[in-house]
Amino acid sequence: MLAFTLRRIVVSIPILLLSSFIVFVLVSTSGDPLEPLKVRQPPVPQQTLDAEAERLWLNDPLLARYVRWLGGLFQGDFGPSVISTQDIGDQIGTRFFVTLRLIALAMIIALVLAVIVGVVSAVKQYSITDYTATFVGFLFLSMPAFWLAILLKQAGIEFNLAVGDSVIYTIGEATPNFQGTFWERVADVAGHMVLPTISLALISYAAWSRYQRASMLEVMNADYIRLARAKGVPRRTVMVRHGLRNALIPLTTVTALDLASIISGAVVTERVFQWHGMGEFLLDSIATADVYATMAWLLVTAVVVILFNLIADLLYAVLDPRIRYA
Amino acid sequence: MRRTRAASLVAVTAVATLLLAACGGGGGNAGGEGGGGAADQTSQGGILAECGDNPLDCNSVPADQLQQGGQITVALEKNIDNWFLISSEGNTSPQSNAIHPMLPYTYSTLPDLSLALNEDVFVSGEQTNTNPQTIEFKIKPEAVWNDGTPVSAQDFIYNWKYQDGKTCPSCRPATTAGYDQIASIVGSDGDKTVTVTFAQPYTDWKNLWSAGSPMYPAHIAAQQGDINTEAGLVAAEAYFGTTTPTYSAGPYQVENWQPETALTTVPNPQWYGADKPKLDRIVYRIITDATQEPIALQNDEVQVIFPQPQVDLVQQVAQIPGVSQQQSLGLSWEHIDFNADNPALTTPLRQALAAATPVQEMIDKTVGQFNDEVTPLKSSVLLPGLDGYQDNVGDTGLGSGDIEKAKKILTDAGYTGVGTALVDPNGQPVPTMRMRYTVGNAIRQTQSEIFVAAAKQLGVTFEIQTTDDLGGTLDAYDYDAIVFAYISSPFPFGNAQQEYTSTSASNYVRFKDPEADRLLAEAASSTDQADALTKLNEVDKKILAAAATIPLYQKPTYLAIKDNIANARDNASLDSPTYNIAQWGLRNG
Repeated sequence: MLAFTLRRIVVSIPILLLSSFIVFVLVSTSGDPLEPLKVRQPPVPQQTLDAEAERLWLNDPLLARYVRWLGGLFQGDFGPSVISTQDIGDQIGTRFFVTLRLIALAMIIALVLAVIVGVVSAVKQYSITDYTATFVGFLFLSMPAFWLAILLKQAGIEFNLAVGDSVIYTIGEATPNFQGTFWERVADVAGHMVLPTISLALISYAAWSRYQRASMLEVMNADYIRLARAKGVPRRTVMVRHGLRNALIPLTTVTALDLASIISGAVVTERVFQWHGMGEFLLDSIATADVYATMAWLLVTAVVVILFNLIADLLYAVLDPRIRYA
Repeated sequence: MRRTRAASLVAVTAVATLLLAACGGGGGNAGGEGGGGAADQTSQGGILAECGDNPLDCNSVPADQLQQGGQITVALEKNIDNWFLISSEGNTSPQSNAIHPMLPYTYSTLPDLSLALNEDVFVSGEQTNTNPQTIEFKIKPEAVWNDGTPVSAQDFIYNWKYQDGKTCPSCRPATTAGYDQIASIVGSDGDKTVTVTFAQPYTDWKNLWSAGSPMYPAHIAAQQGDINTEAGLVAAEAYFGTTTPTYSAGPYQVENWQPETALTTVPNPQWYGADKPKLDRIVYRIITDATQEPIALQNDEVQVIFPQPQVDLVQQVAQIPGVSQQQSLGLSWEHIDFNADNPALTTPLRQALAAATPVQEMIDKTVGQFNDEVTPLKSSVLLPGLDGYQDNVGDTGLGSGDIEKAKKILTDAGYTGVGTALVDPNGQPVPTMRMRYTVGNAIRQTQSEIFVAAAKQLGVTFEIQTTDDLGGTLDAYDYDAIVFAYISSPFPFGNAQQEYTSTSASNYVRFKDPEADRLLAEAASSTDQADALTKLNEVDKKILAAAATIPLYQKPTYLAIKDNIANARDNASLDSPTYNIAQWGLRNG
């Protein structure tokens, strides 16, 4: 398994290099980072434009800029940001953990809910429970993330009005300069997490529960399940040990890929709830034609995608002992 | 059995839909009994109702009737990435809104767009000589930074050297305009009298060290290096850009900065101004998505917002109880520029296109949907509310949408095929041209479509093309017509010279008139403002007569506040509603 892991990592390096070069060219040629200065009134002096062009390496040819950026990476330098006061490495580090904090609980809730609902739906196929779960699943699946978030915000405001206190918040991770005891602080943070967590959890749950249901139905109709039941193995044991375990394999793949993309930035949720994570970093970087910031985001994203794919592959072996990697 | 299942499905669907509707519908019934009068799309309402007639004193409450203490949270639409407002990177509106009230400045723009000396800091600021032009500022003896260091001539000198374009070629100031014309600055009376002498007259001298480019403390800059040298100025630039201010010469000072989250300010104990802060704190909360501001306002997470108004936003705020809103006509104005370098765009053709363009229709279909006070603009150099503004469009028909008049202009000039396929007086078909606007800007898309439809009626075809690089497109003059906005100011002379002088790279209309060049140069370097305004209007008449540009309208600005907030009102200039932050407070009760 170690050899397999190492091989996967080595294979990913040229992919990473190629994708970074393609994105570098695309972002570099798609906008001018000095544009906001050029259209400003009164006009920004030429000396300022020259100094900025020099600072952002804009006087170098495209290829030279890429090579310089690549060389800097090995020394921990992500290159100059359009925002001169911004250290891209620091930003990526901070924002990565903001996103992790935002999604961690939501993903756990979504996963647990999806597995339970998916299994119950499959086992009670065509029952009122199944119809209900199916309806709710498709409802959240078809609902645009920003709209769901806005609905939740309105619900949060109504809740606050009903209890006559600010319990649920619509923006940010915590109240700035919050004064209070430890538990009041916990309540404040929790009040800020409620809506984005529900929002993210519902969206992810919807898709995952459908996968889980389909997968469980397929497994439960397999011959080896019927055989186990015919041999008198208790229904519960058949479902959990033989059915669920096998049915989790497709969901593992889907979850791994989804998690990688969500960690790269729950773009809409971050924006609507004003959590300053990876998604917002990407949007801002693209909007300001900040090439090196975009590249840093790409690197982190690529590593996360590779990592989660690897984890998914390794989990197959755990879920199905017949799978072994040479 | 199947009927039972189907019935169940219907029941589940119905219940879930009801739940969802209940979830989303709550806010809609909230009422409208709050101040905002924008349900009928008027410009202001509630406690801000008088601001249209009384922009300077509306929502006023005397200080002794305000609550002592409390906190107001103001939404800020951008993270503070750079604290140095006079650098190119720091010089953005949201940053300035929070920071400039903490710094000393000479003049500011009031809500009626008039200029006022900052009387908290200065006794006077006047032109004392015309040849050479000399300005004398007298600083109040009690004006000090919060560490006790006097506000002095040294602050003027440091900020001048940073922006003069000569002492520090590798610095990145936002502008050098006017500072590069100063010959000397001399301090006297213990550095409390500042005498500024110009090498060449500068009409807009009140713009220097004004609220848009306030002063930073020279004594702190000097701690970073010798501020008479380039190295020292570069070091100070880096320091001021990256360091959260501990310094303040305004009513509030920074208590705490949480990047991407909030700036918290508290009263400056050394504050010497007439209006003593009544609040314990003013918090600037970073909300980078304007569409989320009304919801945060409704949930009382912020109490003051001033985003760009949109139809949905204005209507949304109108539904929030206990909130008032106000719109003003700002200093940002939309216009369509023609590229006169294109030989096909002759003066008669531009005049005809300008006459055919229905500006009122453009307004009705865009900003007119949420502001009924926006009207067609009649000048390309000044805005209503600014000194010297007058109707220079006259009987040119520019922007009237008068197709018949436009056709007559073309026919009189010898064009044929008017209304079908236009042919110029030399017998050459007028080629298809490009109308450009910034990609994703729905308002400009509508304006472009209306313009193109009007041109079509004259037999001229324009293709609409977007640009994702407005600066690059303008710099390359890569358009035949283009719609974008300029931001004017009460200091119009320098801007006009940049925009319309024949040799200026920023002359995007490619208007070339030696007489206009002379008038613009004289207007920008005059010691007589009235005479300068007269010359500016003469130039404007030439520009509009040649239909070099079609001024469209002023863009509205917007403010929404909780009804318990006193003394806050919209200021459509770049000085923003925070221009009088020392006076803000909470109503008693």
